[in-house]
Amino acid sequence: MLNIEHLDLSFGDSKVLDDINLEVHKGEVITFIGPSGTGKTSLLRCINLLEKPDGGRITLGGDTYDYGSITKKETLDLRRKTAMVFQQYNLFKNKTVLENVMDAQIVVQKKSKAAARDKSMAELARVGLEAKADAYPHQLSGGQQQRVSIARALAVEPEVILFDEPTSALDPELVGEVLKTIGEVAGSGMTIILVTHEMSFAEDISDRVVFMDRGKVAEEGPPQQIFRHSNHARTQQFLRKFYTASH
Amino acid sequence: MFDIMTVFESFVEILKVVPKTLLLALIILVLSFMLGAAITYIQSLGIPVVKQIIGVLQSFLRGTPNVVLLYLVYYALPLVSAWFLGLFNVTLDPSSLNSTAIVIVTFSICYSVFQSEIIRGALHSLDKNQIEAAQSLGYSTTQTLRKVIIPQVMVEALPDTMNAFLIIIKALSLAFLVTVVDIFAQARLVGAQSFSYLEAFVAAALVYWGICVILTYAIDKLENRMRRGYA
Repeated sequence: MLNIEHLDLSFGDSKVLDDINLEVHKGEVITFIGPSGTGKTSLLRCINLLEKPDGGRITLGGDTYDYGSITKKETLDLRRKTAMVFQQYNLFKNKTVLENVMDAQIVVQKKSKAAARDKSMAELARVGLEAKADAYPHQLSGGQQQRVSIARALAVEPEVILFDEPTSALDPELVGEVLKTIGEVAGSGMTIILVTHEMSFAEDISDRVVFMDRGKVAEEGPPQQIFRHSNHARTQQFLRKFYTASH
Repeated sequence: MFDIMTVFESFVEILKVVPKTLLLALIILVLSFMLGAAITYIQSLGIPVVKQIIGVLQSFLRGTPNVVLLYLVYYALPLVSAWFLGLFNVTLDPSSLNSTAIVIVTFSICYSVFQSEIIRGALHSLDKNQIEAAQSLGYSTTQTLRKVIIPQVMVEALPDTMNAFLIIIKALSLAFLVTVVDIFAQARLVGAQSFSYLEAFVAAALVYWGICVILTYAIDKLENRMRRGYA
């Protein structure tokens, strides 16, 4: 359903992503783990072209886009098939919760106000925040804001939702509610690509885990293999460091 | 002898030019805002020589009194426009240039520099995150501008812009130097008719102050409404 071939990205002289290939099936949950600065977030941002790769191809929803020669129209087309949940929630601060969820449906998808409102209320109910529909983002906790941004992503019915370290900016006691929401989204059959440092969550939720190191895919496989039986030295080293650091 | 009735009569006379003064100030505000937006945009492109030229112009406009600029334009604009139109074989009688136009041109240029600063500050207050959120949802550049950037930048820029409006209204008192009759000029005329200058200027001060109070109140209301619940 989503297929990335030979994706390369550089910032100036430094190579950030080096020949990334990835295939994601419908309804699959893929998690990227690895040390900071290895290009996990950059890869996610290349998928919806918030970063422009130097080369490579992506196939999504039946259409193939060549990164090297992608047009403005194709960029919008590709972005409209995806949605992203950001580390800092990135809600529109001058709009209410409901407007945040509605806006893209009206502006981008040209839905009627009534249809967008119904859809938005349903998605807000799904993340348990229909009571906050008329609140402004700054009136909510970080965890609630992140759940609104998940509802905003769901509301445009994307082919895939990209989660970029969705719990990294949260106070520890708020992480749980967001992970629970992501778990429910995954359970509903949505295709998900997730970048996270929440290792046990990654192990629970993922169909496949990709360990990235220095801009390359170092190892990929089912969560049990990566987390329990990795025979890859870098993966073992990273996970060992990670567990000693956090436990 | 100070006569309160004369103050009242002058007040009524001066009120007659308030609409014209406000309109003039509004035109200048809008033009300087547009010019300021253009300056901000051009500066953001960072084109080497252009950037320096605009920098020097900004420093010149900031460092020169309005009254000097007004005279500069008053004497230079007819020459410049005659020369410019001459290029297209159109002849222009310099004396036909309207002094109101000269006031508008001068003040629009003067205040564009300040408007540019205001717009730049407002743009800085907008975080890039929201723009990325819009892009990630497939908003086009125009949609992002219209739905995300402009509504927030407008609110941020509103208090300073309205402050600039009050400054322009007051600065227009210089316009009488080139024969444009604003509030202050009208006060001089009214005072001259009956040699009751003190009463006329007291009335003028009250008119200016009244405008300031009403506008400040209206702007506060407007800003609160535009910000609605958000911080």
